[in-house]
Order: sequence, then C-alpha cells, then structure tokens
Amino acid sequence: MADELVEEEFEPLFDYRRVQPKFVYVDDDDSDEEPIIISKRQKDGKGGNDGIPQVIICDDKKEGKEEEEEDDWLPPPPKFDANAGSKPPEDPALKELRLLKQELQTCAQSARDWLQSVEDSAQRKVSSPSQSLKDAPAELPKPQYERAKIVISIQDKDGPKQFRVFLDDRFERLFKLYADRVKLNLENLVFTFDGDKVSPSATPESLGMEDEDIIEVHAKSR
Amino acid sequence: MSGIARGRLTEERKAWRKNHPHGFVAKPETLPDGTVNLMIWHCIIPGKAGTDWEGGFYPLTLHFSEDYPSKPPKCKFPQGFFHPNVYPSGTVCLSILNEDSGWRPAITVKQILVGIQDLLDQPNPADPAQTEGYHLFIQDVTEYKKRVRMQAKQYPSLI
Repeated sequence: MADELVEEEFEPLFDYRRVQPKFVYVDDDDSDEEPIIISKRQKDGKGGNDGIPQVIICDDKKEGKEEEEEDDWLPPPPKFDANAGSKPPEDPALKELRLLKQELQTCAQSARDWLQSVEDSAQRKVSSPSQSLKDAPAELPKPQYERAKIVISIQDKDGPKQFRVFLDDRFERLFKLYADRVKLNLENLVFTFDGDKVSPSATPESLGMEDEDIIEVHAKSR
Repeated sequence: MSGIARGRLTEERKAWRKNHPHGFVAKPETLPDGTVNLMIWHCIIPGKAGTDWEGGFYPLTLHFSEDYPSKPPKCKFPQGFFHPNVYPSGTVCLSILNEDSGWRPAITVKQILVGIQDLLDQPNPADPAQTEGYHLFIQDVTEYKKRVRMQAKQYPSLI
C-alpha cells in the first residue's frame, strides 16, 4: 500500500511524459523532447540560460493555457484524500514532496517566461539580421515583410519632436515634413546627427540610426 | 580590463543618443579601422547664449580610465584654451571632476558637459589653473571679455 502511494506521488514529479501533452506545443514537432529537458534542468536548480530559446514557442495564448493546465498537473485532491484516508497518519515526506513539486512548478514557469522573453528578443534579431540597428520596429507582427520604421526625434532649442519614418527613407522627406510642421523655410535649416551634417539623400539606415535617436536642427544664419 | 567601465560607457552612450541638450555633441572615438573606442569621447560644448561664450563650439575630449566610474574622466580642451580654470595643457579643473572632492560615480556624461558649459561663463577664481586667464579675469575684465569673444570666433560651428 505504502509503495503504491509513493509511486503515485512520485510519478507526476519525475515522469514528465505523463504531463507532457498538456503543454500543448501544437505547432512544434520538437516540443516532445524540449520541455522535458527544460523541466529537468530546472529541477537541477540551474538557471536554464544555456537552453536554446528558439525551440519553445510560447505565445500569450499558450501561456494562458499552460497556467490553466497547471492546476491539473497536481494529482486531483479527492483522489489523494482517498489514499490518505486509508493510511491516516500522512507521511510528512509526501507533504514535503508536494510542496517541493509546487515550488518546482513555479520555478519552471518563471523559467518559461524567461525563455520566452529571450526568444522574443532573439526572434527580433533573427528577423532583421542585416539591420541590427533597429529594434522596436521589429516588434511588428511581420517585420520581415514590411519596410522597417524608426522613430526619430528632431530637436531644436525648444525640445524634441518625434517622427516615425521608414528606415530606408531618404531624409529629405523627413526634413520637409519637419519644416512644414514648424513653419520654417527648409533652406534655412541645417540638420545634424552626432555633430555631423545630415545629407538629404542619406537614410536613417545609412547613418546607423537607432530608435529615438536625435537629429538636431540649427538655423543656418548662425 | 574592467568590464564595468565599458558597460557604464555603453549605457552612457545609449542614454545620450536618446536625450541630450541641444547643440552638444558627445561620441566615442572611432578608429580608422572603424572600431569604436569607448574610453575616449570627442565632445562639443556650445557657449551659452547670452554670454561672451555664445557662438563658440568648444571641442572637449573625455579620457575615461578603467577605474571609471569610481574615478572621473579627464576632460581636456585644446592646449592653451583661455579660461581661468583650465590648465595650460587644456585639462579642466572643476570640483565635480575631482576624485577627492565633488566626483560621484553617479554623475553622467551629460552632467559633466553641462557642468563645464556652466563653468565657462562662471569661472571659479578660488581655483585658478592658468596665469593669463586668471589675471585678466581678476584685474582687467574688459580685456578678459574681449579675449573670450575672440576665442568664441576661433571655434565656429562646424556646420
């Protein structure tokens, strides 16, 4: 009896195949293996930062599902009560194990969250390998198929104004936009980036600009 | 090699790119082969409007050590720069840049540059670093101001 009980307690803790299908990595064939590895790593108390993040695809939907499923992960309480009832003095070791298991689950969840954030940033980089300079625009759903955008601040003495432009758009368009907005003659304005004059034919990409970089505008008369 | 200095300087550069006062420039040195040397920054401090320093764009170089930010960077104008608190070598003498007095590791590049801009028009006669600038400032204000305005013309805007 006691052996049976122990087995039943241990099984969900160490045999991850039993719970595996509940993690539902539907669109990933490799996922049969990966989550097990991650759980084990977590069990070992390692950080898991050597994991290969791109394997696990967790979007918000799945994450929510995971959380729901996690309650079922524990053996259903009634079942346990029945077993415990037949053996009145509950083994404190089992109690400890259960607590440990819960702890591991939270641990695993935080690791998954962490991996997801790593994966997100990795995906962003992967999706724009040739344009390591842009980061925020890549958060758009399909960055690789759209022209990447960038936010640029144009700063005069009174402060910055922000513009969203294409990364590969020539600055002449932005300069005109700015001149119109501040109602000044474009002829009298000089734009600089990091102290160097910006040519109207340059693009944010060609200057290696990043999101929210500042272009300064000066009146030419000076 | 301290990773702390480089890590902090990377952050400083990142912050500067997104927010800095108008007219100022601060960028790490780029070597001929295109690599960036974070330990030396080339900066430009604009003379404050409404002062004799207006119209000048003064080049300043920041030399960071591996002990940064425990120790302040050495800030240098060109040799022979005219100002009571600038040594003949060009090194700026300012309390916040002194390891033994005002420097704190939390002081940012932006605060350093704005601090030096303030110093330009508000020299500290208690702490002279060169004879010429100091004596004129103390004894002949007219001549001092004339020299300052002349120097402003020596450093016109590069754009």
